[in-house]
Amino acid sequence: MSENRAVSPGKKSLFQDFKAGEFFQKYTMIIALVVVTIVFSLWPGKNGLILQPANVTGLIAENAYVFVLATGMLMCILTGGNIDLSVGSVVCFTAAIGCVMMASGVNMWLTVLAMLAIGLAIGAFQGFWIAKIQVPAFIATLAGMYAFRGFSNVVLNGYRVDITNQQFLDLFGNGKTSFVPDYIRQAMPGLDSVFTKDNAFLSALIGQNFVAKFNVTCMCIGIVAALVFVLIKVRKILVQKKLGISQSIPGQIISTVIIAALILWVTFKLSCYRGFPNVLIWTILVLGIYAYITTKTAIGRHLYAVGGNEKATALSGVKTRNVYWFAYANIGLLAGLAGILTAGRAKGIDPVYGEGYEMDAIASCFIGGASAYGGTGKVSGMIIGAILMGVINKGMIIVGVDANYQKVVKGIVLLIAVMFDVLSKRQKR
Amino acid sequence: MNNKAILAALKKNAMLIVLVLVYLFFLILTKGSIFSPSSFAELINQNAYVYILGAGMLMCMLTGGNIDLSCGAFVCLLGAFGGVFMIVQGLGTGVSIALMLLIGVVYGCVLGYLIAYVHIPPWIATLAGYLAFRGLGTSILSANSKTGSLAPFPVDFQNIFYGRVFPTEKGVFNWPCFLFGVAAAALVVLVIFTTRKNRLSKGYEADTVKAAAVKSGLGAAVILLVMSRLALDGGIPTTLLWVAGIVLIYSFITSKTTVGRHFYVVGGNMEAARLSGVNTRRIMFLAYLNMAILTAIATFTVIARSQSAYADVGKNFEMDAISACVVGGVSASGGAGTVLGMVVGATLIGVINLGMSLISLDANYQRVVKGFVLLAAVVFDILSKKRQK
Repeated sequence: MSENRAVSPGKKSLFQDFKAGEFFQKYTMIIALVVVTIVFSLWPGKNGLILQPANVTGLIAENAYVFVLATGMLMCILTGGNIDLSVGSVVCFTAAIGCVMMASGVNMWLTVLAMLAIGLAIGAFQGFWIAKIQVPAFIATLAGMYAFRGFSNVVLNGYRVDITNQQFLDLFGNGKTSFVPDYIRQAMPGLDSVFTKDNAFLSALIGQNFVAKFNVTCMCIGIVAALVFVLIKVRKILVQKKLGISQSIPGQIISTVIIAALILWVTFKLSCYRGFPNVLIWTILVLGIYAYITTKTAIGRHLYAVGGNEKATALSGVKTRNVYWFAYANIGLLAGLAGILTAGRAKGIDPVYGEGYEMDAIASCFIGGASAYGGTGKVSGMIIGAILMGVINKGMIIVGVDANYQKVVKGIVLLIAVMFDVLSKRQKR
Repeated sequence: MNNKAILAALKKNAMLIVLVLVYLFFLILTKGSIFSPSSFAELINQNAYVYILGAGMLMCMLTGGNIDLSCGAFVCLLGAFGGVFMIVQGLGTGVSIALMLLIGVVYGCVLGYLIAYVHIPPWIATLAGYLAFRGLGTSILSANSKTGSLAPFPVDFQNIFYGRVFPTEKGVFNWPCFLFGVAAAALVVLVIFTTRKNRLSKGYEADTVKAAAVKSGLGAAVILLVMSRLALDGGIPTTLLWVAGIVLIYSFITSKTTVGRHFYVVGGNMEAARLSGVNTRRIMFLAYLNMAILTAIATFTVIARSQSAYADVGKNFEMDAISACVVGGVSASGGAGTVLGMVVGATLIGVINLGMSLISLDANYQRVVKGFVLLAAVVFDILSKKRQK
C-alpha cells in the first residue's frame, strides 16, 4: 500500500483505494466457493474428479431447478423475509399435470404453456390471500404445501408417470441429446481434421481425451458471453468514474476478471463433454430477466422498498399489496418452470418429487446474502449461494460421504456461512 | 346492546366457534364415533406433542414472529439418543430422561446464544439444525440397529409418558378420573370469579356476572364432558397431565409474570423494550432455551407412544406447532397471542386429523382438506377481526 501512496496525487493509482479487508468481506461467498472447490478437487484419491467435464455439466443440470426456484424465492424474501413453503408441492403438481397431459398425447408446447399457466394461477391464488386478505404468507403457503402435494397424488393416482415425448426431454432434460448441437462444426466439416489427437497444440490445450469431440459452438458462446460481460462492466466502471461515484474500482476489476474467467472455464468444461446444456439456456434466461427486473425496473425496486419499510413505501404512493401479489404470482410461475425442468430431468414424475425444494431455494438465498428481514439481497448473490450448495452436494457425493452426514454438513455450512456474514457486517459498523 | 355484546363475544372467539362447527361436522359424518371415549384419548395422545411444542413455539413467536424449524428434526435426534441410552446401553429410565433433558438444555443454550448474542436470524440458525439433526439421528440409529429403528422402550418409561393414572378396564367408569375433572372444573369456576373480583376491586373493566357465569359454565361443562368420556377409556392418560401441566405453567408465565410480559414487549417493539431496560437478548435466549427443553419433553411423549425411535419420527412437527399457533391467533409478526388460543388451534388441527382418519378419507385428500381448512380458518379469523374494527 505504501508504494501506491508514493504515486503523484494527480495520477491516482487504480489500486490506491484498494482495501483487502473490504474486498474479502464483499466477496466472502465467492472466496468460500473457490476454497470449497479446491478442497474437493485436491481430495486424496479423488484428485480433480469434481472438475471433470461430466461433473461440471451434471452440477448445472442437477441444480437448474434450484436457480429457478431461488430466483422466485428471492423476490418473496425481499418483501420482508416472507417465504413460500408451497413451491415443492407446486413443482410436483405442475409436473404431474404436464406428464399426464403428454401421456395422453397433448402437444408438447401446449403442455408447457399449460404448466406455466397453472403455476401462475396457483401463485396468483396464494398471492390473493396473502396480499388482499393479509393472511400470513407462512400459513397461506403452508396450506398450499399440503393441498398441492395431495392434489399431485390424486392426479398421478399415486404412481409414477413417464414422459416419452422426445422433444420435451431434449429441451428440458438431461439426456445425451439435451444439448445445443455443435452448429459450427456441422457447418465447417473441415474442423474435424483440425481437432484430432495429432494436433499437438490443441490436444495440449484441451486434453487428449476431449479434443476430438470438442464442442466449438459451446466454447464460442462462452467467449462471446465473457466478452459481453467484460464490456458491460467496463462501461459501468467508466460511467462511475465519470460521475464520481466512489466505488472500489480495483475490487470491481478483480471480480470482473474472476467472473469472466469463470464463464470461460465453465464453458470450456462443457465443451469438453457434450456442449451447452439446453437447461442452462432456460436458467440463464430466468436469472438474466430477474437480475434486470430487480435492478432496473420500478416493480423490482418496489420489492426492496416494501421489505425495507412497508409503511413508508405505502405512504410514498406504492400499492404495497400489489407488490406482494406480484411476488407470489411470480414464484408460482417459476415453480411451473421448475416443474418442467424437474420432469424433464427425471423423464417423468413421482408423487414424492419436489419434497424439500423449498428449503434448497431458501438456503440458497440466505447463503447468498439475502436478509431474513427483507429489503436486501441480489440475484448475483443468490447464484453464488446456489452454486456453493451444489458444489458441496456434488463434492460430498464424489468423496463418498454417507447420505446422512451430507445433511449434517449442509446444515453446518449454512450456519457458518451466515455467521460469517453477520459477524463481518457487524465489524463494519 | 345485549345482542351487540354477544356478537362481539362471538367474534372474539371466532376460532372457538370454528372448532365447535368442525367438531359437529365430523360428529355427523362419523356417525358419532368421534365422540367415543377412545377418540378422546386418541385426540390427546396423538396431539400431545402439538400442545407441548406449540407452547414453546408460542414463546418464540411472541418475540417477533421468530420460529424454530429444527424442533422436528431435534425430536428425531433426541429419540435416537433415548434409544441408545435406554435400549442399547440399558441405562435406567431416570438417568436417560435426565441425559436427554441435558442434551436439550445444551442445544438450547447453543441455539439461544447464536440467536440472541451473535444475532444469527432464527430462521437460519434453526434451518441448520433442521438439515443436520435428522441426518445425525438417522446415522446414530443405523449404527445401533440393523432395521434403523430402536424398540421397545422400557415399560416404566412408557408408563410415565403414555400410561394411565389409576388404570381400570375399558368401559368401567374410572372415578379418580371423573373426580379429577370435577376438581379441575371447580378450579376454573373459582379462577374466573376471583379474577373478576380482583379486577373490579382495582377498578379495571371486568366481565358482567352473566358473562362470567356463561364462561365458567361452558369451561366447566367441557372439562366434565372430556373427563367423563376419558373415565370410560381406562382413566386419565399421563400425557394429559403433562400437557395440562405445561399449558397451565405457560399460561401463568405469559399472563402473570414479569418475564412473560417481557416476551410480548420484545415482540411489540424490540427497540422500545431495550430502551426501557428490558434485557432483550436474555429474552431471546430464554425463548430458544425453553423451546429446546420443551422439545425434549415432547420427544418423551412421542417415543413412548410409538414405542420406538425411528428415522421419520418428528417429521413436520415444526409445521404442526407453527400452524397451531397461527390458527390460534398468534401474530406472525410477534407481540400477540395467548396459550389458550394456541390450545384451541392445536385442538382444531387435532380434530380435523382425527375426524378425517375416522371417516378413513384417502390420505391424499386428507392433505388437501387440511390445507384448505387451515387457510379457511385463518381467513375467517382475519375477516371477523377486520369487521370488528
